[in-house]
Amino acid sequence: MNLAAEAFSHVDYLVTVALFLIGAWILLTSGNLVKKVIGLNIMETSVFAFIVTTGMIDDGAPPLLAAGVEGPFASPLPHALVLTGIVVAVSVTSLALVLILRVKAELGSVELDEIASAGEQPGAAAPPDSRGHAND
Amino acid sequence: MTEWPHWLPILAVLPLVGGALTPLLFHRRPVAAWFWAVSVAAATTLVAMTLLLKLIASGGLSYAVGGWLPQYGIELRFDEIGAFALPASLLVLLSLSFSRHYVARAVDSGRISFYYALILINLGGLNGFLITGDLFNLFVFMEIFSVSAYALVATAREPVAALAALKYLFLGALSSLLVLFSVGVVFAMTGTLNIEDAAADLDLSTPMPAALALAGLATGFAVKAALFPVHFWLPDAHAAAPAPVSAILSALVVKAGVVGLLRTLELFAGGEGLLQPMLNSIVWLGALGALGGALMALVQRDIKLMLAYSTVANIGYILIGLGLSTASATTGAMIHVVNHAVIKVLLFLAAGAFIHRTGLRCIDDLRGLARRMPFTAFAMGVGLVSLSGVPPMAGFVGKWQIAVGALQAGRPILVAVLVIAGLLVLAFSVRVTNAMYFRPPSRISAAAATEAPVSMLFPLLVLTAGCFGLGMAGQVMLRFVAPAVPGLYGGIP
Repeated sequence: MNLAAEAFSHVDYLVTVALFLIGAWILLTSGNLVKKVIGLNIMETSVFAFIVTTGMIDDGAPPLLAAGVEGPFASPLPHALVLTGIVVAVSVTSLALVLILRVKAELGSVELDEIASAGEQPGAAAPPDSRGHAND
Repeated sequence: MTEWPHWLPILAVLPLVGGALTPLLFHRRPVAAWFWAVSVAAATTLVAMTLLLKLIASGGLSYAVGGWLPQYGIELRFDEIGAFALPASLLVLLSLSFSRHYVARAVDSGRISFYYALILINLGGLNGFLITGDLFNLFVFMEIFSVSAYALVATAREPVAALAALKYLFLGALSSLLVLFSVGVVFAMTGTLNIEDAAADLDLSTPMPAALALAGLATGFAVKAALFPVHFWLPDAHAAAPAPVSAILSALVVKAGVVGLLRTLELFAGGEGLLQPMLNSIVWLGALGALGGALMALVQRDIKLMLAYSTVANIGYILIGLGLSTASATTGAMIHVVNHAVIKVLLFLAAGAFIHRTGLRCIDDLRGLARRMPFTAFAMGVGLVSLSGVPPMAGFVGKWQIAVGALQAGRPILVAVLVIAGLLVLAFSVRVTNAMYFRPPSRISAAAATEAPVSMLFPLLVLTAGCFGLGMAGQVMLRFVAPAVPGLYGGIP
């Protein structure tokens, strides 16, 4: 009972956890590489949302405003963290997309099961003389 | 010079800046890029050595980035765990030295300057990760070495490399996000990002959020460290990468996950009820990893895959030691982190020298190579004997300490696990050594191979000497690491 009440007082946290799990599900189960990247981005967004949410302090007052000025207060540090996190996320996403382009060019597909079945039948979608290239 | 305080940030900044400059200065000039990268890594090694001497002389160092004092600003600290930066820099230096002739074949010529840049950036991220005392900084440096590692796997020419790098990226990014999420939880609970400060402030009486943070951190770093059930990204990525990159990934990047665990478990030192079940499960997963990794290594035909699975096994040993958390088991784990790094760089580089000269990577095809490449074969043999933990060699010290710790903790079954896994390792070592030394060549390229060039032999011989030296220096390392151990998660005796 107590637990349920506590849970509903933090709906925002529950939403971010749900988003995180949705993203993780897509990342781990989808066979399409691009969809995996999308799942990854959903997870990243959920974590950023969570950290920004923790910066909201109930009844907090801004430390550096002129007397008489009232306003809602959010701790700036989580925002700075999330900005850094977004930069990291962008670089991870771009690297993943570039790698997907290379997989598509070299293995002919972005679907994991198609890549696997192409690997089982040599010649069907065999990459152009990779072995000899590596050893020459 | 000794009073100059800025050596600590230089340790991370030097390779990061040096790496970023490499493609700008030396694009399409591979020899110049190689020379530059080796110089930067050598300078970093010297900085790490300076710091280590200062640590031995006057105890731990602390540095406030930008003059903002710890607890508010970012704190860098150099302690017995941070001292891992010295072997890390040295091993990267040797792998870079090895790379000169290797990358000319294994990497497209247009990518070579980026290859060196990424290795230096990877070193910068690792060093930063080792010396930071700030939770968010830990995440940022982790991303620096992780993202550069994903890209390094993809520098190989084989078409599977891009796919292996992608698998590594997906799992790596998932684990990074778990860590970031937990850092967010810890920050929300304590309002601070400084690790020591957060450890003091973390409220462990309401177990729910703290348990969430502990689970996120432990899972995240376990994926980075390739602990048993989440190890499956490792063999693909480590086998597909160019050999010097495999060496760095297996020896250092994977160990960063272990260091991450060491650093963050201390947050939860007060909560016996939280930490103990976690440590217990780490022990059992480590035991499964040690057995499973050694078994999988035994059945591999590709020598780099075999070495990759043996990394899974060794991470298993290390995490058994960490999870037992008795003094000797933890020191054993910390020593094995370094010794296994040296051994595994040696093995991957020796395998790389074989691949470079013959183009063969199947164990059965290496037959008779000892006659044509005696020094490389000797290095490979020494590495394999060390890996199986035969007494005077480097692999022995850590495993012995972990086994002693298991006995002290009253869990002899773990000693049995260690012994059985050791025997399995010995079995595949004998198999490779037998093929190299006592079989006639079965391939023309193996029969016609010539000894590897000096830039490859030099690191191999240094590392071979290291395998003997670290075995002898076990006492010294034990005494060096010992002061750090009581501080780890509450100092369980």
